[in-house]
Parts: sequence; C-alpha cells; structure tokens
Amino acid sequence: MKIVKTGMAGTLESSDVMITVRDNNGKGIEIHLQSIVEKQFGNQIRKVVQNFLERFSVEEGLIQINDRGALDCTIEARLAAAVYRAAGKSDYDWENL
Amino acid sequence: MAKLRRTMLYVPGNNAGMIKDAHIYRSDSVMFDLEDAVSVNEKDTARFLVFKALKTLDYEGIETVVRINSIESGFGEEDVKAIVRAKPDVIRLPKTETADDIHEIESLIEREEKNCGYETGTVALMAAIESPLGVLNAYSIATASKRLIGIALGAEDYVTCLKTTRSPGGTELLFARSQILNAARAAGIYALDTVYSDLNNEEGFINEIKHIKQLGFDGKSIITPRQIEPVHRIFAPTEKEIEYARKTIEGIREAEKKKSGVISVDGKMVDKPFVERAERILELAKASGVLKDEKEGEND
Amino acid sequence: MNNPEESLFIKNPDERTLIIIKQLLEENSLTYEPDIEETLLINIEGEAAATGSISGNVLKCIAVNDKFKNRNLTGNLLTQLISREYQKGNTDLFLFTKPGNREIFRQLGFYPVHEIRDNVVLMENNPSGLTGYVERLIRETEEKKAEGKRIGCIVVNCNPVTNGHLYLIEKASSESDILHLFVVEEDRSVFPFSVRYNLVREATQHIKNIVLHSGSNYIISNSTFPSYFIKDTKTIVDLHARLDLGIFSEKIAPALGINKRFAGDEPLCPVTSNYNRFMSEILPSKGIEFEIIKRLENEGEPVSASRVRNLLVSGDYEGIKRIVPEATYNFLVSEKGNRIKEILEQRKGR
Repeated sequence: MKIVKTGMAGTLESSDVMITVRDNNGKGIEIHLQSIVEKQFGNQIRKVVQNFLERFSVEEGLIQINDRGALDCTIEARLAAAVYRAAGKSDYDWENL
Repeated sequence: MAKLRRTMLYVPGNNAGMIKDAHIYRSDSVMFDLEDAVSVNEKDTARFLVFKALKTLDYEGIETVVRINSIESGFGEEDVKAIVRAKPDVIRLPKTETADDIHEIESLIEREEKNCGYETGTVALMAAIESPLGVLNAYSIATASKRLIGIALGAEDYVTCLKTTRSPGGTELLFARSQILNAARAAGIYALDTVYSDLNNEEGFINEIKHIKQLGFDGKSIITPRQIEPVHRIFAPTEKEIEYARKTIEGIREAEKKKSGVISVDGKMVDKPFVERAERILELAKASGVLKDEKEGEND
Repeated sequence: MNNPEESLFIKNPDERTLIIIKQLLEENSLTYEPDIEETLLINIEGEAAATGSISGNVLKCIAVNDKFKNRNLTGNLLTQLISREYQKGNTDLFLFTKPGNREIFRQLGFYPVHEIRDNVVLMENNPSGLTGYVERLIRETEEKKAEGKRIGCIVVNCNPVTNGHLYLIEKASSESDILHLFVVEEDRSVFPFSVRYNLVREATQHIKNIVLHSGSNYIISNSTFPSYFIKDTKTIVDLHARLDLGIFSEKIAPALGINKRFAGDEPLCPVTSNYNRFMSEILPSKGIEFEIIKRLENEGEPVSASRVRNLLVSGDYEGIKRIVPEATYNFLVSEKGNRIKEILEQRKGR
C-alpha cells in the first residue's frame, strides 16, 4: 500500500497506542517508537510493526508509534487503521489482517 | 444445560483497555459495541480493534457478542465482513423492526461464513428491538431465523418514540417488556432486558432487576462491571428453591429407576415444566456460587 | 470507568464557563490566550478536571487539575485535541508548554523544536517536521546551484508584492552572493499564500541569485509566533519573537550558511517594527548580521502593501500601476484580483 497522506489511529489512553503514518519523502520505512515499556518490549513492538508493513507491502512511510502499554493485537489494529487511512483506502483485506 | 445470559456487559468498541480486560469481571457475556459507543469518525478504528481482539485474545469461555451498526447506517456491511471472520459467539443487530431486517443481516452473515469457509450458522444472531414497530413485530422477528438465540429490548430510543421518558417504576416499558418476553418464549429463545443507566440510583437498579426477573427475563444488558453483582445476586435462587429443585431432580431419578412416569416431590405430583424449572434453578444456583455441583468443569 | 466523566468542546464559552477555564489555567500559571478557537474541557463529577485549547494547528493552554493528576488526563486530553485537529485536516501539530513538562509531552509523542530556557518550549508531533523542512531548504538551494560566501536572507509576507518589496529584495541581493527569500506561509492575509508566493516568484525572476522558499510552520507562522497574527495587538510577545528567531538562527541559518538577514524599515506597522527591534538585538549575538533597508518612497509616502490594498478598494488602478510590478498589476485586474477587492470592500464596510 502506498502512503499518500497522514493517517492516525488510536489513543494515548492506558493499554492503547497512538500510531501516525506519514509520507517519508522517498526515504523508505522509518519507525519512531516511544513506549512506556520500551526497554522490555521495544524490539517486540518493532517486529510486530515491520511484520505488518511487509505483509501489506508498505515500502515507504514515517511510522510514529506512541505506545501506552498496548497488546500486540492492539498495536496491529491501530497500525492497520492508520495505514489504511494514510493510504486513503477502505477495501479492507480482512483475510490477511 | 442451557447457557446463562443474566448479564451482558457493554464494552465500547474503541476502548483498548476495556476490550483487553472485558472478561475479568465474569459477566455471562461481553458485548463489544461498534454502534452507539463509537463516534462516526472512529467506526473504522473500532472495527479493527474488536476484530483483532476477537481473533487474538482468550475470553476464557465468556460469551462474546458484537453489536454491529445497522445496515442502513452505511457501516453495517463492513462490520459483518470483519466480525464474522473474527468469529464471535453472537452478532447483535440494533434497531430491528421487521423480520426482513433479520433476513437481510442473515444473508450477509451467511455469505461471509461461506467466504471464510466456516460452517453455516457458526455465528449466532441476536436482535435488539428499539422501536414501537419492532415491539409490535416481536414474534415475527423472533422467528425470522434459526440463528436467533434471543431478542433484547433497547429502551432509550423506544421511550422517545412513545413520547415519554423512563421512570423508576418502568410503567412505560411494561407493554414492550411483556410483548418481547412473550415473543421470545413463544419462539423458544432468550429474552433480554434493556440497560439501566442511572448509576447513582442503586435502589432503582435493584428494583428493576427484581421486576424483570419476575416478568421472566433471562437477564439484561449492563453498562459497568459494578452492575454484575446485583444482577447475579438477585437472579440467584433462594435456599428453599434450591432444596425443592434438588428434590425434584431426585424425584425424576427415582421415577426413572422405577420406570414410573409419575414423579412426586414432598408427596405432590410434579410434571415436565417443574422439571425444567428445577434444572434451571440448579444451573443458576451453580453459576451464582450458591451451590457447589458435584460435576465440576461442565461448560455449557 | 466508574467516574462520570464528560468532555466538551467549547467554541464561544459563556461567562461562567470562561471563568472555570481561566481559573484552571491560573492554577497552573497559564493564561487564556486571545487567539483560541476552541477549548476542550473535561469534567469529572461536575468538577473541571482538565482543559486544553486549539488555535490553528497549535495546541495550547493545557492544564490538569491537581486533584485529578493521577488519571492520565493529559493523555485523554491530548488524544481528543489531536483527533479534533485531524478531523479539521491539521496533521502537523505544535504545542507550547513549560520546559518542566517537556518530558510528559515527549512521552505523549511530541518532539521539542526549540526551547527558551526556564520559560517555554515549542514541540511538534512530526518527528521529521523541522528536520524535514531544513532538508527541503537544502535541496531547494542545491537545485539552484548557488555559490558564494555572503549568504543573505530576507523574510517577506508580500500581501501583495510591491515595488517597495522589490527594491528591498534587489538591494539585499546586490549585497549577497546568495539571497534566500522566504515567503510567510501562514494564511492570515487577504492574499492567499499560493498567490503571494507566485507573484513574488514572477516579480523576482530577473534576480539570478535568489533562492525562493516557503516559510512553512517554522518562519513567522502561527505555530512559532502566535502573537504576530493576533489582531489589534500593538506589540508582539517577547517569548514568541525569541522562539521564532531562535529557530531561525540555530536551526535554519546554520543549515544554509546564512550570515546576514535583511529587513525593510517599518515606520507604519508597530508589530513589524517591534520584530525588527528584536532581530537587531538577537541576531548579532548569534553571529548573524542584521541590516535594515530604508523603504522606497513614492510621492512622499512609503510604497507598502497596505497602500496597494487601499488603492485597490478605491479602484485606483492607475495609482497601483505606479507602485507594483507587472505581475501584481496583472493579477489585480484579473477576476481573482477582483474577488480580493470585494473581500477588502466588505471588510471596510464593516
């Protein structure tokens, strides 16, 4: 999926995550992670995000993750929503989500 | 043994924290709400969140229900696509007015089950009736689909349509409650009562639970975990009821042993309805923790 | 989940609500600012628990009642403010806060842009906001293939561009090897940014050593410099000028090698003359020379954009022609120019 605008999903409430996806001006994927559990789970969160981006062929984007202790499935849900919003698409691929 | 549906806890569909912890309060069912609890701007994000939660999290046997948006809202069809695939126990359709509403949603669910390769009927259906027309059509709604496991009253819109408001005694809801209950019983499905939203009026809440229990409802929707305990407590059978139910069941066993068609308890003849009620009371007693059953680990 | 909490967005608060908001702000040593468009108020059990406001793409006047400090209300508040901005189409957001709160907001996804020690820190939600802008400026400069040691800069609003501006730009360009020309992007002027920018480009085409840039959010914008745009104020807020000039002299000028800034003298507009005074105080201390160029006069009056706007309202196109470049004149007599004339007439009529 191609990122054409800024898309955001999620909240800064506890157990949630706010994810913003922006166009990265031709510089590939860039992930900015801010997490209250970064030390323990930072790598795991990055893995979840990278995995999703690969699965959905997102090759370019500035991904900003503000994690408030979200479960992996919450991170995926918020990322999916943000990516679809940033791609301006609503033909959701539920089978692969 | 029949499933208990005393308490169905509303969980806002866009609240990650509450979705994560929905089952820890041990209501009989949890209901993830994609409809009124989610603003129009967040319909997509809530759908993703509930979808992923259902696919990933273990709700430890607690029944999962998703209240989707109506088809005419423009969000319902996508809700069905996502939610059927995520396989909750039940989809709840809001604002049901006619049997055709049920047929419409049923065909969408069926199509999606086929798409996903699930057996037809994997996801059960529940209909909320929230308008005068829906109340009048309660029986035809209740019998519109084999999938239907229950019908529920949604009172907030309904009382507005009636040109009245909700009162502590609930006089204005008596007709709708009786009609829905009667329709559900005639159709052999569950009858579920509306929410009680005045959190500061505990006495009013208790009175309402007693009232709907007496009418015959199986339970009600609740909006906070705090409401679970009072409902379960009031729905719990008394010692006297349990004792009588026990004797009834023993009576059956006795009669079966003797190959006799007649059951008597305390010297009085009992027949089939008594037996059913006795089973229900013992099940309720077990679920309420009033009674410890010999047969542990039985799960619906 | 069992405390009745309600959130309200308020556009024009009534007197009672305004007192409540102001009181909550005062308890946190903040004031209710005049350019607020909308205020979010969170009440818990009928008591004001937290507030935050929106002005353009800036979040400000954020305060949480001490009594409710441990409930992550800042996160809740910020979520609602950010969502509101996104709904309005604003995705690059800024916020002002005290340096003591910098870490709280950093954890909530905001990155520091610039800080005035012990006073205020400007933060943004885009991790590559300012850095991305600076990269763009460098790219624009490289495309121009300009070289030299005397690297000048001038910031113009050009509402619309006049011979006065042109004189200023030509003078500055003659004293520079490269002249970076920034057009203020904030759309608060009657001539929209795209019109102002294009007219400047056309009018300066003959000057070869100019690199034209848009001012973005980082040069005299509502984000860095709110008091510049507040109507009816005679002075700008000291802090805002320091922020704006801090970003310029520490982040933008070094990246482009700018060592001199030019400005027109400003006998008429108090806000601009105030800003000039700040530049003359601050820039030299950061190693950037500052020069004020005397305005071009015509018939005993300075040639200014406001004079052009006045002539436009009275329909004196001959008068306009004498003091604007051809591009501006052609625009003003076009249909689009006429629409701006109508807007100006309406404003005058009020």
